[in-house]
Amino acid sequence: MKESFRQSMAWLHTWTGLMFGWLLFAMFVTGTAAYFQQEISRWMRPELVATADPASATQAAIGYLQARQPDAENWFITPPSARSPVTEVFWQPKKVEGQPPTPRKRGGTSATLDGSGHPVTVRETRGGFFLYRFHFDLHYMPVIWARYLVGAAAMFMLVAIVSGIITHKKIFADFFMLRFGKGQRSWLDAHNVTAVFALPFYLMITYTGLVTLATQYMPWGVMANYASADTFFDELFHGRADVPRSGVVAPLVPISPLMATASRSWGNAAIGFVQVANPDDSTATITITRAADTAIGARGESMVFAGPSGKLLDRHAPEGGALATQSVMVGLHAGRYAGWGLRWLYFLSGISGTIMVGSGLVLWTVKRRSRLPDPAHPHFGFRLVERLNVAAITGLPAGLAGYFLANRLLPTAMLDRSEWEINSLFMIWGGVLLWACVRHNGAHGSKACRLRPPCSRPCQL
Amino acid sequence: MAVHPNRAGIRRHRLHVLVRAIAAIIGGYVVTALAVACLARLLPMRAAEASIAATLASFAIYASIIVTVFPARSMLRVWISLGLALLLLGAGLYLSILTGGRL
Repeated sequence: MKESFRQSMAWLHTWTGLMFGWLLFAMFVTGTAAYFQQEISRWMRPELVATADPASATQAAIGYLQARQPDAENWFITPPSARSPVTEVFWQPKKVEGQPPTPRKRGGTSATLDGSGHPVTVRETRGGFFLYRFHFDLHYMPVIWARYLVGAAAMFMLVAIVSGIITHKKIFADFFMLRFGKGQRSWLDAHNVTAVFALPFYLMITYTGLVTLATQYMPWGVMANYASADTFFDELFHGRADVPRSGVVAPLVPISPLMATASRSWGNAAIGFVQVANPDDSTATITITRAADTAIGARGESMVFAGPSGKLLDRHAPEGGALATQSVMVGLHAGRYAGWGLRWLYFLSGISGTIMVGSGLVLWTVKRRSRLPDPAHPHFGFRLVERLNVAAITGLPAGLAGYFLANRLLPTAMLDRSEWEINSLFMIWGGVLLWACVRHNGAHGSKACRLRPPCSRPCQL
Repeated sequence: MAVHPNRAGIRRHRLHVLVRAIAAIIGGYVVTALAVACLARLLPMRAAEASIAATLASFAIYASIIVTVFPARSMLRVWISLGLALLLLGAGLYLSILTGGRL
Protein backbone atom coordinates (compact mmCIF):
# COMPACT_ATOMS: atom_id res chain seq x y z
CA MET A 1 0.00 0.00 0.00
CA LYS A 2 2.44 2.61 -1.16
CA GLU A 3 -0.13 4.58 -3.11
CA SER A 4 -1.13 8.06 -2.23
CA PHE A 5 -3.99 8.76 0.13
CA ARG A 6 -6.39 9.69 -2.64
CA GLN A 7 -5.64 6.58 -4.67
CA SER A 8 -6.31 4.28 -1.77
CA MET A 9 -9.55 6.18 -1.09
CA ALA A 10 -10.52 5.63 -4.73
CA TRP A 11 -9.80 1.94 -4.27
CA LEU A 12 -11.89 1.85 -1.09
CA HIS A 13 -14.70 3.70 -2.86
CA THR A 14 -14.70 1.28 -5.81
CA TRP A 15 -14.77 -1.89 -3.76
CA THR A 16 -17.07 -0.87 -0.92
CA GLY A 17 -19.42 0.41 -3.61
CA LEU A 18 -19.35 -2.84 -5.55
CA MET A 19 -19.60 -5.04 -2.45
CA PHE A 20 -23.10 -3.89 -1.56
CA GLY A 21 -24.05 -1.98 -4.72
CA TRP A 22 -26.84 -4.32 -5.79
CA LEU A 23 -28.47 -4.39 -2.38
CA LEU A 24 -28.10 -0.61 -2.08
CA PHE A 25 -29.72 -0.20 -5.50
CA ALA A 26 -32.74 -2.24 -4.33
CA MET A 27 -32.87 -0.26 -1.08
CA PHE A 28 -32.80 3.03 -2.99
CA VAL A 29 -35.56 1.93 -5.37
CA THR A 30 -37.94 0.64 -2.70
CA GLY A 31 -37.07 3.38 -0.21
CA THR A 32 -37.75 6.04 -2.83
CA ALA A 33 -41.07 4.42 -3.71
CA ALA A 34 -41.93 4.24 -0.01
CA TYR A 35 -42.08 8.05 0.17
CA PHE A 36 -45.39 7.56 -1.64
CA GLN A 37 -46.43 4.39 0.15
CA GLN A 38 -49.83 5.75 1.17
CA GLU A 39 -50.56 6.83 -2.38
CA ILE A 40 -49.38 3.48 -3.76
CA SER A 41 -51.58 1.66 -1.23
CA ARG A 42 -54.47 3.84 -2.30
CA TRP A 43 -53.89 3.02 -5.98
CA MET A 44 -53.62 -0.68 -5.18
CA ARG A 45 -56.99 -0.64 -3.42
CA PRO A 46 -59.18 1.11 -5.98
CA GLU A 47 -62.32 0.01 -4.10
CA LEU A 48 -61.72 2.75 -1.53
CA VAL A 49 -63.47 6.01 -2.23
CA ALA A 50 -64.88 8.32 0.40
CA THR A 51 -62.97 10.11 3.12
CA ALA A 52 -64.46 10.31 6.58
CA ASP A 53 -64.19 12.62 9.57
CA PRO A 54 -61.35 11.25 11.76
CA ALA A 55 -63.14 11.65 15.10
CA SER A 56 -66.42 10.02 14.10
CA ALA A 57 -64.57 7.31 12.17
CA THR A 58 -62.53 6.51 15.30
CA GLN A 59 -65.70 6.34 17.39
CA ALA A 60 -67.23 3.99 14.82
CA ALA A 61 -64.07 1.85 14.85
CA ILE A 62 -64.34 1.58 18.65
CA GLY A 63 -67.91 0.35 18.18
CA TYR A 64 -66.68 -2.29 15.73
CA LEU A 65 -63.99 -3.46 18.18
CA GLN A 66 -66.36 -3.45 21.16
CA ALA A 67 -68.69 -5.80 19.30
CA ARG A 68 -65.94 -8.21 18.23
CA GLN A 69 -62.97 -7.89 20.58
CA PRO A 70 -64.28 -6.69 23.96
CA ASP A 71 -61.66 -8.65 25.94
CA ALA A 72 -58.59 -7.83 23.81
CA GLU A 73 -55.41 -6.63 25.50
CA ASN A 74 -55.05 -3.64 23.21
CA TRP A 75 -56.83 -1.98 20.32
CA PHE A 76 -54.83 0.10 17.86
CA ILE A 77 -56.67 2.53 15.61
CA THR A 78 -55.24 4.66 12.80
CA PRO A 79 -57.91 7.23 11.86
CA PRO A 80 -58.36 8.33 8.24
CA SER A 81 -56.10 11.16 7.11
CA ALA A 82 -55.52 13.37 4.11
CA ARG A 83 -53.41 10.60 2.55
CA SER A 84 -55.52 7.57 3.51
CA PRO A 85 -59.31 7.40 3.34
CA VAL A 86 -59.91 4.46 5.70
CA THR A 87 -59.58 3.57 9.36
CA GLU A 88 -57.06 0.81 9.98
CA VAL A 89 -57.50 -1.20 13.18
CA PHE A 90 -55.60 -4.07 14.68
CA TRP A 91 -55.75 -5.71 18.07
CA GLN A 92 -53.82 -7.90 20.50
CA PRO A 93 -56.19 -10.69 21.50
CA LYS A 94 -56.55 -11.79 25.10
CA LYS A 95 -53.63 -13.93 26.28
CA VAL A 96 -54.66 -17.48 27.16
CA GLU A 97 -53.01 -18.87 30.31
CA GLY A 98 -50.16 -21.26 29.65
CA GLN A 99 -50.31 -20.73 25.90
CA PRO A 100 -47.64 -18.75 24.13
CA PRO A 101 -49.09 -16.18 21.74
CA THR A 102 -49.10 -18.05 18.45
CA PRO A 103 -48.29 -16.14 15.31
CA ARG A 104 -51.55 -15.71 13.48
CA LYS A 105 -52.26 -15.39 9.84
CA ARG A 106 -52.18 -11.76 8.81
CA GLY A 107 -55.69 -10.40 8.61
CA GLY A 108 -56.85 -12.38 11.65
CA THR A 109 -56.13 -9.50 13.99
CA SER A 110 -56.71 -6.48 11.79
CA ALA A 111 -59.39 -4.85 9.70
CA THR A 112 -59.90 -1.95 7.33
CA LEU A 113 -63.02 0.08 8.18
CA ASP A 114 -64.99 2.84 6.52
CA GLY A 115 -66.21 6.00 8.25
CA SER A 116 -69.17 4.21 9.84
CA GLY A 117 -67.19 1.29 11.22
CA HIS A 118 -68.08 -1.29 8.56
CA PRO A 119 -65.30 -3.45 7.16
CA VAL A 120 -64.59 -2.45 3.57
CA THR A 121 -64.13 -5.23 1.09
CA VAL A 122 -60.91 -4.54 -0.71
CA ARG A 123 -58.64 -6.81 -2.68
CA GLU A 124 -56.05 -8.42 -0.45
CA THR A 125 -52.80 -6.51 -0.97
CA ARG A 126 -49.91 -5.22 1.06
CA GLY A 127 -49.71 -2.19 -1.19
CA GLY A 128 -47.03 0.42 -0.67
CA PHE A 129 -46.43 -0.93 2.82
CA PHE A 130 -44.62 -3.92 1.32
CA LEU A 131 -42.16 -1.65 -0.51
CA TYR A 132 -41.57 0.25 2.73
CA ARG A 133 -40.87 -2.95 4.65
CA PHE A 134 -38.71 -4.45 1.88
CA HIS A 135 -36.49 -1.38 2.16
CA PHE A 136 -35.16 -2.67 5.50
CA ASP A 137 -36.73 -6.13 6.10
CA LEU A 138 -36.17 -7.56 2.59
CA HIS A 139 -38.26 -10.68 1.89
CA TYR A 140 -38.08 -14.49 2.07
CA MET A 141 -35.64 -14.26 4.99
CA PRO A 142 -35.70 -13.71 8.76
CA VAL A 143 -36.19 -10.03 9.54
CA ILE A 144 -33.32 -9.88 12.01
CA TRP A 145 -30.78 -11.10 9.42
CA ALA A 146 -32.21 -8.80 6.79
CA ARG A 147 -31.70 -5.85 9.09
CA TYR A 148 -28.07 -6.74 9.78
CA LEU A 149 -27.49 -7.10 6.04
CA VAL A 150 -29.15 -3.79 5.31
CA GLY A 151 -27.16 -2.16 8.12
CA ALA A 152 -23.88 -3.49 6.71
CA ALA A 153 -24.86 -2.12 3.30
CA ALA A 154 -25.64 1.27 4.83
CA MET A 155 -22.30 1.32 6.64
CA PHE A 156 -20.50 0.48 3.37
CA MET A 157 -22.50 3.28 1.73
CA LEU A 158 -21.38 5.72 4.42
CA VAL A 159 -17.75 4.73 3.83
CA ALA A 160 -18.27 4.93 0.04
CA ILE A 161 -19.68 8.46 0.42
CA VAL A 162 -16.88 9.69 2.66
CA SER A 163 -14.18 8.12 0.49
CA GLY A 164 -16.01 9.38 -2.62
CA ILE A 165 -15.90 12.94 -1.31
CA ILE A 166 -12.18 12.62 -0.62
CA THR A 167 -11.57 11.13 -4.08
CA HIS A 168 -13.28 13.93 -6.01
CA LYS A 169 -11.40 17.11 -5.43
CA LYS A 170 -13.38 19.04 -8.04
CA ILE A 171 -16.82 18.61 -6.56
CA PHE A 172 -18.10 21.98 -7.78
CA ALA A 173 -16.78 21.54 -11.32
CA ASP A 174 -18.23 18.02 -11.50
CA PHE A 175 -21.64 19.45 -10.92
CA PHE A 176 -21.66 21.09 -14.37
CA MET A 177 -19.99 18.28 -16.27
CA LEU A 178 -22.12 15.79 -18.16
CA ARG A 179 -20.75 14.68 -21.52
CA PHE A 180 -22.81 12.24 -23.55
CA GLY A 181 -21.67 9.57 -25.98
CA LYS A 182 -18.18 9.32 -24.56
CA GLY A 183 -18.32 5.83 -23.10
CA GLN A 184 -16.62 5.57 -19.75
CA ARG A 185 -16.30 9.36 -19.41
CA SER A 186 -20.10 9.67 -19.71
CA TRP A 187 -20.72 7.03 -17.09
CA LEU A 188 -18.26 8.75 -14.77
CA ASP A 189 -19.93 12.11 -15.44
CA ALA A 190 -23.35 10.62 -14.71
CA HIS A 191 -22.04 9.10 -11.51
CA ASN A 192 -20.46 12.38 -10.42
CA VAL A 193 -23.39 14.60 -11.36
CA THR A 194 -25.96 12.46 -9.54
CA ALA A 195 -23.58 12.04 -6.60
CA VAL A 196 -22.94 15.75 -6.24
CA PHE A 197 -26.54 16.73 -7.04
CA ALA A 198 -27.90 15.44 -3.76
CA LEU A 199 -24.77 14.84 -1.72
CA PRO A 200 -26.14 16.30 1.54
CA PHE A 201 -29.22 14.12 1.07
CA TYR A 202 -27.14 10.95 0.70
CA LEU A 203 -25.11 11.71 3.79
CA MET A 204 -28.27 12.50 5.73
CA ILE A 205 -30.26 9.51 4.49
CA THR A 206 -27.43 7.02 5.07
CA TYR A 207 -26.59 8.25 8.55
CA THR A 208 -30.18 8.59 9.70
CA GLY A 209 -30.94 5.20 8.17
CA LEU A 210 -28.28 3.67 10.40
CA VAL A 211 -29.75 5.60 13.32
CA THR A 212 -33.23 4.10 12.80
CA LEU A 213 -31.83 0.69 13.81
CA ALA A 214 -28.87 1.97 15.85
CA THR A 215 -29.72 0.10 19.05
CA GLN A 216 -29.57 -3.15 17.07
CA TYR A 217 -26.29 -2.34 15.30
CA MET A 218 -24.57 -0.59 18.22
CA PRO A 219 -26.21 -1.86 21.41
CA TRP A 220 -23.10 -1.04 23.47
CA GLY A 221 -24.15 2.45 24.50
CA VAL A 222 -27.31 1.06 26.05
CA MET A 223 -25.58 -2.05 27.41
CA ALA A 224 -23.02 0.12 29.25
CA ASN A 225 -25.72 1.73 31.35
CA TYR A 226 -28.53 -0.82 31.55
CA ALA A 227 -28.78 -4.44 32.57
CA SER A 228 -30.78 -5.19 29.41
CA ALA A 229 -32.33 -3.42 26.45
CA ASP A 230 -35.78 -3.96 28.01
CA THR A 231 -34.91 -1.92 31.12
CA PHE A 232 -33.78 0.87 28.83
CA PHE A 233 -36.97 0.91 26.79
CA ASP A 234 -39.06 0.69 29.97
CA GLU A 235 -37.38 3.83 31.25
CA LEU A 236 -37.82 5.51 27.90
CA PHE A 237 -41.51 4.75 27.61
CA HIS A 238 -42.24 4.92 31.31
CA GLY A 239 -45.74 4.22 32.53
CA ARG A 240 -46.63 2.10 29.52
CA ALA A 241 -46.10 -1.21 31.27
CA ASP A 242 -49.02 -3.63 31.05
CA VAL A 243 -51.56 -3.27 33.84
CA PRO A 244 -53.66 -6.38 34.55
CA ARG A 245 -57.41 -6.08 34.04
CA SER A 246 -59.43 -5.50 37.21
CA GLY A 247 -62.41 -7.40 35.87
CA VAL A 248 -64.74 -4.51 36.69
CA VAL A 249 -66.62 -3.49 33.57
CA ALA A 250 -66.54 0.23 32.84
CA PRO A 251 -67.60 1.71 29.50
CA LEU A 252 -65.25 4.03 27.63
CA VAL A 253 -65.97 7.75 27.40
CA PRO A 254 -66.68 9.12 23.91
CA ILE A 255 -63.41 9.53 22.02
CA SER A 256 -64.16 12.68 20.10
CA PRO A 257 -63.69 15.21 22.98
CA LEU A 258 -60.42 13.54 23.98
CA MET A 259 -59.13 13.78 20.41
CA ALA A 260 -60.19 17.43 20.31
CA THR A 261 -58.37 18.15 23.59
CA ALA A 262 -55.19 16.46 22.39
CA SER A 263 -55.34 18.16 19.01
CA ARG A 264 -55.85 21.59 20.61
CA SER A 265 -52.88 21.14 22.92
CA TRP A 266 -50.69 20.42 19.89
CA GLY A 267 -51.74 23.53 17.98
CA ASN A 268 -54.63 21.80 16.15
CA ALA A 269 -52.41 19.01 14.84
CA ALA A 270 -54.12 15.93 13.41
CA ILE A 271 -54.34 12.70 15.42
CA GLY A 272 -52.11 9.94 14.10
CA PHE A 273 -52.88 7.00 16.32
CA VAL A 274 -55.21 5.88 19.10
CA GLN A 275 -54.43 2.99 21.43
CA VAL A 276 -56.89 1.57 23.91
CA ALA A 277 -55.41 -0.71 26.58
CA ASN A 278 -57.71 -3.05 28.58
CA PRO A 279 -60.80 -1.80 26.73
CA ASP A 280 -64.09 -1.61 28.66
CA ASP A 281 -62.33 -2.38 31.94
CA SER A 282 -62.00 0.03 34.88
CA THR A 283 -58.23 0.04 34.22
CA ALA A 284 -58.65 1.07 30.57
CA THR A 285 -56.37 3.79 29.21
CA ILE A 286 -56.61 5.68 25.95
CA THR A 287 -53.34 6.90 24.44
CA ILE A 288 -53.62 9.49 21.69
CA THR A 289 -50.55 10.18 19.55
CA ARG A 290 -49.99 13.20 17.36
CA ALA A 291 -49.91 12.66 13.59
CA ALA A 292 -46.45 12.27 12.08
CA ASP A 293 -46.98 14.92 9.42
CA THR A 294 -47.09 17.78 11.89
CA ALA A 295 -43.56 17.61 13.32
CA ILE A 296 -40.21 16.29 12.10
CA GLY A 297 -39.53 14.11 15.14
CA ALA A 298 -40.54 10.50 14.63
CA ARG A 299 -41.30 9.76 18.26
CA GLY A 300 -44.63 11.54 18.34
CA GLU A 301 -45.97 13.31 21.38
CA SER A 302 -48.81 11.50 23.08
CA MET A 303 -51.39 11.99 25.82
CA VAL A 304 -52.78 9.27 28.05
CA PHE A 305 -56.38 9.44 29.32
CA ALA A 306 -58.26 7.21 31.74
CA GLY A 307 -60.75 5.12 29.76
CA PRO A 308 -63.82 5.31 32.02
CA SER A 309 -63.45 8.98 33.10
CA GLY A 310 -61.51 10.67 30.31
CA LYS A 311 -59.19 12.25 32.88
CA LEU A 312 -55.73 13.21 31.57
CA LEU A 313 -53.24 10.85 33.25
CA ASP A 314 -49.95 11.57 31.56
CA ARG A 315 -48.33 13.19 28.56
CA HIS A 316 -45.21 12.04 26.81
CA ALA A 317 -42.86 14.10 24.74
CA PRO A 318 -39.29 13.32 23.75
CA GLU A 319 -37.18 14.40 26.71
CA GLY A 320 -33.61 15.58 26.53
CA GLY A 321 -31.40 16.71 23.69
CA ALA A 322 -30.02 13.34 22.61
CA LEU A 323 -33.41 11.61 22.53
CA ALA A 324 -34.95 14.54 20.67
CA THR A 325 -32.04 14.47 18.19
CA GLN A 326 -32.57 10.77 17.59
CA SER A 327 -36.28 11.32 17.10
CA VAL A 328 -35.62 14.07 14.53
CA MET A 329 -32.99 11.96 12.72
CA VAL A 330 -35.42 9.07 12.36
CA GLY A 331 -38.11 11.53 11.28
CA LEU A 332 -35.82 13.06 8.66
CA HIS A 333 -35.19 9.60 7.22
CA ALA A 334 -38.82 8.54 7.00
CA GLY A 335 -39.97 11.95 5.76
CA ARG A 336 -43.47 11.48 7.18
CA TYR A 337 -43.58 15.16 8.09
CA ALA A 338 -43.01 16.26 4.51
CA GLY A 339 -45.69 18.11 2.57
CA TRP A 340 -46.13 17.65 -1.17
CA GLY A 341 -43.25 19.88 -2.31
CA LEU A 342 -40.74 18.39 0.08
CA ARG A 343 -42.07 14.89 -0.54
CA TRP A 344 -41.31 15.25 -4.27
CA LEU A 345 -37.87 16.58 -3.41
CA TYR A 346 -37.28 13.48 -1.27
CA PHE A 347 -38.48 11.36 -4.18
CA LEU A 348 -36.24 13.09 -6.73
CA SER A 349 -33.23 12.83 -4.43
CA GLY A 350 -34.01 9.13 -4.03
CA ILE A 351 -34.18 8.69 -7.82
CA SER A 352 -30.89 10.52 -8.13
CA GLY A 353 -29.38 8.19 -5.53
CA THR A 354 -30.69 5.20 -7.49
CA ILE A 355 -28.97 6.51 -10.63
CA MET A 356 -25.81 7.23 -8.67
CA VAL A 357 -25.59 3.64 -7.39
CA GLY A 358 -26.59 2.19 -10.76
CA SER A 359 -24.09 4.25 -12.77
CA GLY A 360 -21.39 3.44 -10.22
CA LEU A 361 -22.03 -0.28 -10.74
CA VAL A 362 -21.95 0.08 -14.53
CA LEU A 363 -18.78 2.14 -14.26
CA TRP A 364 -17.03 -0.76 -12.58
CA THR A 365 -17.42 -2.96 -15.66
CA VAL A 366 -17.06 -0.22 -18.27
CA LYS A 367 -13.73 0.83 -16.82
CA ARG A 368 -12.37 -2.69 -16.62
CA ARG A 369 -13.50 -3.88 -20.03
CA SER A 370 -10.74 -2.03 -21.89
CA ARG A 371 -8.10 -3.48 -19.60
CA LEU A 372 -9.17 -7.09 -20.02
CA PRO A 373 -6.45 -9.31 -21.46
CA ASP A 374 -9.03 -10.81 -23.83
CA PRO A 375 -12.17 -8.62 -24.06
CA ALA A 376 -14.07 -11.29 -26.00
CA HIS A 377 -13.70 -13.76 -23.13
CA PRO A 378 -13.71 -11.86 -19.85
CA HIS A 379 -12.85 -13.70 -16.65
CA PHE A 380 -15.53 -15.09 -14.35
CA GLY A 381 -15.62 -12.20 -11.84
CA PHE A 382 -16.13 -9.68 -14.61
CA ARG A 383 -18.94 -11.67 -16.23
CA LEU A 384 -20.58 -12.14 -12.83
CA VAL A 385 -20.59 -8.42 -12.05
CA GLU A 386 -21.82 -7.61 -15.54
CA ARG A 387 -24.78 -9.98 -15.30
CA LEU A 388 -25.71 -9.07 -11.77
CA ASN A 389 -25.64 -5.42 -12.86
CA VAL A 390 -28.13 -6.06 -15.64
CA ALA A 391 -30.30 -8.16 -13.34
CA ALA A 392 -30.26 -5.65 -10.49
CA ILE A 393 -30.70 -2.47 -12.50
CA THR A 394 -33.34 -3.62 -14.98
CA GLY A 395 -34.80 -6.51 -12.97
CA LEU A 396 -36.17 -4.66 -9.97
CA PRO A 397 -37.97 -1.91 -11.91
CA ALA A 398 -39.46 -4.62 -14.14
CA GLY A 399 -40.45 -6.55 -11.02
CA LEU A 400 -42.09 -3.46 -9.57
CA ALA A 401 -44.12 -3.02 -12.74
CA GLY A 402 -45.08 -6.68 -12.39
CA TYR A 403 -46.13 -6.10 -8.77
CA PHE A 404 -48.48 -3.31 -9.84
CA LEU A 405 -49.83 -5.33 -12.77
CA ALA A 406 -50.42 -8.37 -10.55
CA ASN A 407 -52.46 -6.12 -8.29
CA ARG A 408 -54.89 -5.58 -11.18
CA LEU A 409 -54.65 -8.98 -12.88
CA LEU A 410 -54.79 -11.58 -10.08
CA PRO A 411 -58.32 -12.74 -9.23
CA THR A 412 -59.63 -10.85 -6.19
CA ALA A 413 -60.73 -14.05 -4.43
CA MET A 414 -57.37 -15.77 -4.88
CA LEU A 415 -55.94 -17.57 -1.85
CA ASP A 416 -52.90 -15.73 -0.38
CA ARG A 417 -53.40 -13.08 -3.00
CA SER A 418 -51.16 -10.45 -1.43
CA GLU A 419 -48.36 -13.00 -1.15
CA TRP A 420 -48.72 -13.81 -4.86
CA GLU A 421 -48.49 -10.15 -5.79
CA ILE A 422 -45.14 -10.13 -4.03
CA ASN A 423 -44.12 -13.45 -5.62
CA SER A 424 -44.85 -11.94 -9.04
CA LEU A 425 -42.33 -9.20 -8.32
CA PHE A 426 -39.60 -11.70 -7.51
CA MET A 427 -40.53 -14.08 -10.35
CA ILE A 428 -40.05 -11.29 -12.87
CA TRP A 429 -36.86 -10.15 -11.16
CA GLY A 430 -35.52 -13.72 -11.26
CA GLY A 431 -36.62 -14.02 -14.88
CA VAL A 432 -34.57 -10.96 -15.80
CA LEU A 433 -31.56 -12.46 -14.01
CA LEU A 434 -31.92 -15.67 -16.03
CA TRP A 435 -32.33 -13.70 -19.22
CA ALA A 436 -29.22 -11.67 -18.42
CA CYS A 437 -27.22 -14.86 -17.92
CA VAL A 438 -28.45 -16.57 -21.06
CA ARG A 439 -28.64 -13.72 -23.50
CA HIS A 440 -25.51 -11.84 -22.63
CA ASN A 441 -23.18 -14.09 -24.60
CA GLY A 442 -24.83 -13.22 -27.86
CA ALA A 443 -25.20 -9.51 -27.27
CA HIS A 444 -21.78 -9.19 -25.82
CA GLY A 445 -19.81 -8.17 -28.89
CA SER A 446 -21.87 -5.20 -29.95
CA LYS A 447 -22.31 -3.99 -26.39
CA ALA A 448 -18.60 -4.14 -25.74
CA CYS A 449 -17.97 -1.97 -28.78
CA ARG A 450 -20.55 0.54 -27.72
CA LEU A 451 -19.29 0.89 -24.19
CA ARG A 452 -15.58 0.65 -24.78
CA PRO A 453 -14.14 3.92 -23.54
CA PRO A 454 -12.48 6.17 -26.08
CA CYS A 455 -10.15 7.17 -23.29
CA SER A 456 -8.09 10.09 -24.44
CA ARG A 457 -6.44 10.61 -21.11
CA PRO A 458 -5.64 8.43 -18.13
CA CYS A 459 -8.77 7.74 -16.13
CA GLN A 460 -8.58 8.40 -12.47
CA LEU A 461 -11.00 6.04 -10.86
CA MET B 1 -3.95 -0.54 -6.73
CA ALA B 2 -0.78 -1.06 -8.64
CA VAL B 3 -0.81 -3.90 -11.15
CA HIS B 4 1.35 -6.79 -10.03
CA PRO B 5 3.00 -8.69 -12.83
CA ASN B 6 3.19 -12.10 -11.22
CA ARG B 7 0.96 -14.45 -9.29
CA ALA B 8 2.96 -14.23 -6.07
CA GLY B 9 2.55 -10.47 -6.21
CA ILE B 10 -1.21 -10.79 -6.67
CA ARG B 11 -1.42 -13.17 -3.75
CA ARG B 12 0.60 -10.82 -1.56
CA HIS B 13 -1.60 -7.94 -2.62
CA ARG B 14 -4.76 -9.89 -1.73
CA LEU B 15 -3.33 -10.77 1.65
CA HIS B 16 -2.57 -7.09 2.30
CA VAL B 17 -6.14 -6.16 1.45
CA LEU B 18 -7.56 -8.92 3.64
CA VAL B 19 -5.45 -7.86 6.63
CA ARG B 20 -6.47 -4.26 6.17
CA ALA B 21 -10.14 -5.17 5.81
CA ILE B 22 -9.98 -7.17 9.05
CA ALA B 23 -8.26 -4.32 10.87
CA ALA B 24 -10.73 -1.75 9.56
CA ILE B 25 -14.01 -3.69 9.77
CA ILE B 26 -13.54 -5.91 12.82
CA GLY B 27 -10.89 -3.91 14.70
CA GLY B 28 -12.78 -0.71 13.88
CA TYR B 29 -16.04 -2.14 15.17
CA VAL B 30 -14.54 -3.33 18.45
CA VAL B 31 -12.86 0.03 19.09
CA THR B 32 -16.12 1.83 18.19
CA ALA B 33 -18.12 -0.41 20.52
CA LEU B 34 -15.76 0.31 23.41
CA ALA B 35 -15.70 4.03 22.64
CA VAL B 36 -19.52 4.12 22.59
CA ALA B 37 -19.72 2.22 25.88
CA CYS B 38 -17.18 4.60 27.49
CA LEU B 39 -18.99 7.68 26.20
CA ALA B 40 -22.32 6.30 27.42
CA ARG B 41 -20.90 6.01 30.92
CA LEU B 42 -18.86 9.19 31.04
CA LEU B 43 -20.99 11.82 29.27
CA PRO B 44 -22.44 14.14 31.91
CA MET B 45 -26.12 13.47 31.18
CA ARG B 46 -28.92 11.19 32.30
CA ALA B 47 -28.15 7.53 31.58
CA ALA B 48 -30.72 7.24 28.77
CA GLU B 49 -29.50 10.48 27.20
CA ALA B 50 -25.84 9.52 27.39
CA SER B 51 -26.55 6.08 25.93
CA ILE B 52 -28.39 7.55 22.96
CA ALA B 53 -25.90 10.39 22.42
CA ALA B 54 -23.05 7.86 22.30
CA THR B 55 -25.00 5.58 19.98
CA LEU B 56 -25.77 8.45 17.59
CA ALA B 57 -22.07 9.28 17.33
CA SER B 58 -21.04 5.64 16.82
CA PHE B 59 -21.35 5.49 13.01
CA ALA B 60 -19.24 8.63 12.58
CA ILE B 61 -16.56 7.11 14.81
CA TYR B 62 -16.67 3.81 12.92
CA ALA B 63 -16.53 5.46 9.47
CA SER B 64 -13.58 7.65 10.53
CA ILE B 65 -11.64 4.62 11.73
CA ILE B 66 -12.29 2.78 8.46
CA VAL B 67 -11.17 5.65 6.20
CA THR B 68 -8.07 6.12 8.37
CA VAL B 69 -7.02 2.46 8.49
CA PHE B 70 -7.29 1.76 4.75
CA PRO B 71 -4.84 4.38 3.46
CA ALA B 72 -2.48 4.12 6.46
CA ARG B 73 1.20 3.86 5.48
CA SER B 74 2.24 1.14 7.89
CA MET B 75 0.12 -1.76 9.05
CA LEU B 76 2.26 -2.01 12.17
CA ARG B 77 1.24 1.50 13.21
CA VAL B 78 -2.41 0.60 12.57
CA TRP B 79 -2.25 -2.44 14.84
CA ILE B 80 -0.41 -0.49 17.54
CA SER B 81 -2.95 2.35 17.42
CA LEU B 82 -5.91 -0.04 17.49
CA GLY B 83 -4.32 -1.98 20.35
CA LEU B 84 -3.63 1.19 22.33
CA ALA B 85 -7.20 2.42 21.77
CA LEU B 86 -8.55 -0.94 22.92
CA LEU B 87 -6.38 -0.88 26.02
CA LEU B 88 -7.24 2.70 26.98
CA LEU B 89 -10.97 2.42 26.31
CA GLY B 90 -11.16 -1.00 27.93
CA ALA B 91 -9.38 0.26 31.03
CA GLY B 92 -11.63 3.32 31.16
CA LEU B 93 -14.75 1.20 30.88
CA TYR B 94 -13.48 -1.28 33.46
CA LEU B 95 -12.65 1.49 35.95
CA SER B 96 -15.99 3.16 35.38
CA ILE B 97 -17.88 -0.09 36.00
CA LEU B 98 -15.64 -0.88 39.01
CA THR B 99 -16.34 2.45 40.65
CA GLY B 100 -20.04 1.90 40.20
CA GLY B 101 -22.37 4.71 39.27
CA ARG B 102 -24.80 3.86 36.52
CA LEU B 103 -26.14 0.40 35.68
